[in-house]
Amino acid sequence: MMKSKLVPTERTVGNASHKWLVIALVKALAVILCVMTAVFFIIRIVPGDPAKMILGEYSTPEALESMHHALGLDLPLWDQFLRFMTTLFTQGDTGNSIITGTSARELIAQRAPITLLLILLACVLAIIIALLLATLAATHKDKLLDHLIRIFPAITLGMPIFWVGLLLILLFSVRLGWFPVGGVGEGWSGTLHSLVLPAVTVAFSQIPTLVRSLRAQMLEVLESDFVVTLRAARIPNSVILFKHVLRNSALPTLMLLGVNISYLIGGTLVVEQVYGIKGIGSLLFTSISKRDFPVIQGIALYCALSVVIISLVIEIISWWLDPRTKGKQ
Amino acid sequence: MSNFKKALRKSVGLGTLAVLFLVLLAGCSGSGNKANSANTAQESASPAPVQSAAAAEPATGGTFVYGRPAAVTSFDLHNEITSNNAFAIDKVFESLVAFDSKGEIVDWLAKSHSIGEDGLTYTFVLRDGLKFSNGTEVTAEDAVFSLNRHLKVGGPLEISAKVDTVKAQDKQTLVITLKEPYTPFISELSNFSNGILPNNFGGVTEAEFFKKPVGTGPFVVESWDPAGDLTFTKNPNYWQEGKPYIDKLVYKLIEDDSQAINQLKAGEVNAIESLALQNANEIKNGTDTAVLTNGSWVTEQLFFNTLDEHFKDVHVRRALALALDRDGLTKALTFGYAQTANSLLPTTIPYNGNDTIKPLNFNVDEAKAELAKSPFPDGFSTKLLVASGNSTRAQEAQIIQAAGQTIGIKIEIESVELAAFRERFFAYDFAAMLNSGQADSPEANSILAFQTDPEGFSKSYWTHYTNDEVTKLLYEGQKTADGDGRAEIYSKLLQTLADEVPYIPLYYPDILIGARSSVQGLTVLPNGSVRLEAVSISK
Repeated sequence: MMKSKLVPTERTVGNASHKWLVIALVKALAVILCVMTAVFFIIRIVPGDPAKMILGEYSTPEALESMHHALGLDLPLWDQFLRFMTTLFTQGDTGNSIITGTSARELIAQRAPITLLLILLACVLAIIIALLLATLAATHKDKLLDHLIRIFPAITLGMPIFWVGLLLILLFSVRLGWFPVGGVGEGWSGTLHSLVLPAVTVAFSQIPTLVRSLRAQMLEVLESDFVVTLRAARIPNSVILFKHVLRNSALPTLMLLGVNISYLIGGTLVVEQVYGIKGIGSLLFTSISKRDFPVIQGIALYCALSVVIISLVIEIISWWLDPRTKGKQ
Repeated sequence: MSNFKKALRKSVGLGTLAVLFLVLLAGCSGSGNKANSANTAQESASPAPVQSAAAAEPATGGTFVYGRPAAVTSFDLHNEITSNNAFAIDKVFESLVAFDSKGEIVDWLAKSHSIGEDGLTYTFVLRDGLKFSNGTEVTAEDAVFSLNRHLKVGGPLEISAKVDTVKAQDKQTLVITLKEPYTPFISELSNFSNGILPNNFGGVTEAEFFKKPVGTGPFVVESWDPAGDLTFTKNPNYWQEGKPYIDKLVYKLIEDDSQAINQLKAGEVNAIESLALQNANEIKNGTDTAVLTNGSWVTEQLFFNTLDEHFKDVHVRRALALALDRDGLTKALTFGYAQTANSLLPTTIPYNGNDTIKPLNFNVDEAKAELAKSPFPDGFSTKLLVASGNSTRAQEAQIIQAAGQTIGIKIEIESVELAAFRERFFAYDFAAMLNSGQADSPEANSILAFQTDPEGFSKSYWTHYTNDEVTKLLYEGQKTADGDGRAEIYSKLLQTLADEVPYIPLYYPDILIGARSSVQGLTVLPNGSVRLEAVSISK
């Protein structure tokens, strides 16, 4: 990347960016392959027999043997791995659930909407709250409010996410009765209502780092020459804030959110368990305890895919916001 | 900068207002939602007395939401054993005889039954006008088909009696003949796996049938997610007049313990199935929650692998049993919801011998003397296998560890995840482990056959305990008709077990169901299931 910073944006949209995209896609594919291979072998190393999970504790050795055969678990490990990879690439699926017999992809598709909605809500909440806090901190630099907001991350980063969830449930659901303790309500309003606390919990884990990053960026931009110039040009303050300061401060924060997306997904899966939401998280939990290999692999696949795709999208967006960052992530 | 800051503050202020507005909006929509949602628990705000006997007219209608820790994955009654499935199967299928809350056998689909004097012929007469949930009549042929399928499938709860023939004498009469007497037969017929289904699955394939099962039980499957919730509606053709009182029954999957308790407290569920001992008093003392209990068929035990280099020695096992204060352990860990175990069989099961058996009671001096007789008079180091995720068991393990310490046995606690735990003990890959034994029917033979027969497939509950005299007594007990003779056999058998301690019975835990105070008429059964046909929710 030896290009001058002065090269106009339009000229970079050519072969070079094409190449960059191809490299990014190849990297993404490699990540997916590594994740799938690792998950395949790790869940097979962990003790616990899926056949026993289906037949129950008191199954006879003969029944177990025929179940192993039916599930293909009697084959050599490499053979199982090759079959798994073949199904993955020819059908885009990880097989049928051992416990329910339905396709893992179908099971995941049933559960995915609620999890995606929760992630989306958490992101929106995290961004809104982080923006508010960072703006307050930046505009009150070195005053009490700024100090309070800066202490906040130091405290909250040490709190386990499930514990925060439990505290919120005890206060807002059990004590005050404002939100349901668990599950998902009916209809749009019911669903959103029941997702408020889970989304706050997930957002809680993201806010500290976002606030820290956004505040630093805003301070830098607020004190930069172009803001002074804009103000001198009598551009309205609100325009300066929303169009210039925030846009320029948003980029590193957006990248941070992109980097954090895997934590965000992980956190959502844990929070689902705490709030009894039947999304991907609870499916993963049940599948692991039942050693339902195809479903575990399916969830790993789609989680890895989402992380990779979102990172890619964030990379593209940040490049769009500031072409200088192209390929530098 | 001041103008600029003003603008910023204005924007931030507006943003904060917007967030507050959203929160309020969510709060409002929530309260409305709660009030008109017919699918969640319905109840009055004021606490009502628990299971009040005075309630003359039970409330009818409504939905009963029951929080359960595992989803129902199958309705095939002949192939299932786990409670998550069994306790749904028993709402759809019913057997000829059943057990009541005291564990006594009562006629159920049969209006009467008789056993021939030779103990070989069992005759059942079906109730009049009995119908399946789809409206078709129940005949003796249906029972013949059901029992024959069970005999063919075998399954984990197989019919242990040597059955010669199962015949329909007429439309209402069923006759079963055995090749040799088997006293536990009648009580085994009461378990869920001997439920009656329609002849030839009512004309559909096996797979189709168990997706939308048809039985005589109080409830009918309406919708079912094998990885989530299960909704039943009431069976309009149920044979008990006027029952069930509720219209709908929802099995709501709540995998997390604290989530279950919080949902109960907030009134989002009417009852929860597995209430942990440590949470019992919190629920009992709640203003609008209650604990419903019953004695169980469960014995919590410390198991020894009798193939282990140390625990194959009877003196070592006896020494540890004497070093352990079972009374203290029970009091410390079970909050008054359990009884110290004196015998392998819980007091809810006949011939349990709790009053007559002399167990090895806590005595450190005797424990030391016993260990001195073993090949390890100065003690040794060993491991205790425990499944993680059960805090009561983790505490039991620590108490046992401390007891071992007093006589020189160093015990390392090995806590592994449940699936791994099962794998280990099925492979005899343990020295000692904590687990429980549970009877499937109100029968002494049920736990004993599972825990004392080294040739059975459970190999004396994977302890490999072998004592020919014990096995002989076990078979004798199966053939002896109920009465003093049988009592004597089991008393002898249980005393031998108490002396040789292949397992130390620790305590008999109660079954605990957490419920809202507004719940009436719920019967807790000793196998951990509940009867819900008489359940109602007071308004």
